[in-house]
Amino acid sequence: MQRTVVDAGKGKLSLNLRELLHYRDLFWVLAYRDLRVRYAQTFLGLFWAFIQPAATLLIFTVVFGMAVQVDTGGIPYPVFAIAGMSAWAYFAFVLNQSGNSIIGAQEMVKKIYFPRLVIPLSKAVVGFVDFVVALLFMAVLMLIYGVTPSVNIVYLPFFILLTIISALAVGIWLSALTIRYRDFQHVVPFLVQFGLYATPIAYPAKTIIASLPEWAVVLYYLNPMAGVVEGFRWSVLGVDALSVYSYISFGLIALLFVSALFYFRKVERVMADIV
Amino acid sequence: MSDIAIRVENLGKRYQIGQAKSGDLRSSFSGWINRLTGNRNGPLEAQTEKEFWALRDINFEIRRGEAVGIIGRNGAGKSTLLKILSRITEPTTGRYEINGRVSSLLEVGTGFHPELSGRENIYLNGTILGMKRREVKAKFDEIVAFSGVEKFIDTPVKHYSSGMKVRLAFSVAAHLEPEILIIDEVLAVGDAEFQRKCLGKMDEVSREEGRTIVFVSHNMNAVQNICSKGVFLHNGLIEYKGTALETITNYLKKDSNISYNNKFNYQLNEYCSLNKFTFSDENVELFGNILFNIVLESKVINPISSVALLFYNQYQERIAIIDLRDSRLHKITTDGSLVNISGEIESVPFVEGEYSIGLYIASNLCVGNFTDLLKIHIVGAKSSMAPYPVNVRGIVELKSKFEVDDKA
Repeated sequence: MQRTVVDAGKGKLSLNLRELLHYRDLFWVLAYRDLRVRYAQTFLGLFWAFIQPAATLLIFTVVFGMAVQVDTGGIPYPVFAIAGMSAWAYFAFVLNQSGNSIIGAQEMVKKIYFPRLVIPLSKAVVGFVDFVVALLFMAVLMLIYGVTPSVNIVYLPFFILLTIISALAVGIWLSALTIRYRDFQHVVPFLVQFGLYATPIAYPAKTIIASLPEWAVVLYYLNPMAGVVEGFRWSVLGVDALSVYSYISFGLIALLFVSALFYFRKVERVMADIV
Repeated sequence: MSDIAIRVENLGKRYQIGQAKSGDLRSSFSGWINRLTGNRNGPLEAQTEKEFWALRDINFEIRRGEAVGIIGRNGAGKSTLLKILSRITEPTTGRYEINGRVSSLLEVGTGFHPELSGRENIYLNGTILGMKRREVKAKFDEIVAFSGVEKFIDTPVKHYSSGMKVRLAFSVAAHLEPEILIIDEVLAVGDAEFQRKCLGKMDEVSREEGRTIVFVSHNMNAVQNICSKGVFLHNGLIEYKGTALETITNYLKKDSNISYNNKFNYQLNEYCSLNKFTFSDENVELFGNILFNIVLESKVINPISSVALLFYNQYQERIAIIDLRDSRLHKITTDGSLVNISGEIESVPFVEGEYSIGLYIASNLCVGNFTDLLKIHIVGAKSSMAPYPVNVRGIVELKSKFEVDDKA
């Protein structure tokens, strides 16, 4: 027999993760719905997941690869860029989607109970499909340019996981904040655009470390994706070992993720009242 | 094992009124600054004065297998209580415990996505309502058969008619098998056919062993039919709790607005008014008699050709009229004088429920159906047998005699 106790005075700090597990079916179904709907009635379908990174890559290759001639440590520029971009594109997607996710699902939120965390979490799954497409695209480019992956590639799953956690950490924060303050609807696109240049995607991280004063470098690595993208590239291509600064990013991700869960839980209590 | 399904203790819910639903950063900043500087006389204090308790000191217990009706006027806190019990929102004070799996039907079709097919929406809606995927799978054929949309099951729902959508949604909801079912009357919107189907299904569910129901409604008839217990909420407090019938009686007594059995000085249009329109009693026993009185007035000369009483059931279907045409009516050409019609309806045959009464008037300057003027309640007559539920008894009760001969 299922027993539910709700006490207004207690349980403020409990995350109810077990209950989340109980609702995993809903989580998959919501992710499936988003995927189906995203490409419903589009002519190119899943091909769009490839076109977007490809277009950005083209621009980056022309501007940073050919015009500016960024130092990539001997790696062909398109391969260098896509290694950073695939992780970043996933991060940006989850940010964009989860920020508005609760507001988009408000009809459900107001009518039915389920752990609300399911909503932003399912967005992370939806984005993962594009992530996989981007990773495949990277593999194809490496084949074309004849770049062999480094031995560090055994760490790739770890960095993929870190990408997901970092996207979720920021995504969950934003989804909860947007409920409270709609201002964040305007902040997210700005964050994503800003982050594209404040993350070592088009250029290597060592340029930043070499040319900026130390306090600015620390500030730079307060961007959680700065460390992740650096690690991603290191594991795939073996260039530029992880700088000590990247641990700032990793620490921040852990901090953001845990605090996101608690902050979300706090907002969840009044979500149906304020959405 | 405890036989308490729901236990509610000192439950309360406070809302802030006048404040924007989701704050903007600016007002939050000023709030933070005020808190930091210890300035308690700022906007913070003003806010606390705008508190509103939607529910307060709510205590009750529902035993397993009981069907409880929550009644009260609009704004009494019924929906807030349901929202708290179905965990959509959290209480400000108090606690409650629920033993058993809960499904709340606050609206059918929640989460339906127009781009997805009927099949996909069944899975989507089923899981949203708390079913597991394999449970939906096991019941899939049953759900589809009940909804009657087999042919279009792989068509996107956006191409469905609204009727098909509702049928599919209700069909999913009807196949949930919770131990505790929480239902808001919004479920009962839709056409008369659908309402009957919903009420019928609920009636069926409530009769099943061990199924606990919490039902919110304005429809006293449905509450009386489905529920054994009742809770009457008034301004966020429990005004009365007891058996369904006692609770309803208390509610009707308390709420004088419910009594509609007389109307005085009602302006029909710029020329004609209804000076008096009364029924002798608001509650009429089945096969009982009732007196009526109509007094019409017209400011100008206005020959009347016909008057009729119109009876509507709760689905707004006209079920009977009383023709009041009379040659004497013809002769009256009212010009400041009054037309007074009085009479008696003998042996009212309507099945228990609420009926609204209107007037049809045909005169030179005032023509038309004037509906919803009065309301009467038909209550069950005493009988040796327990009556069948209202929803299976049609519209009227026929007076009849029969004999059973067990010797033939």
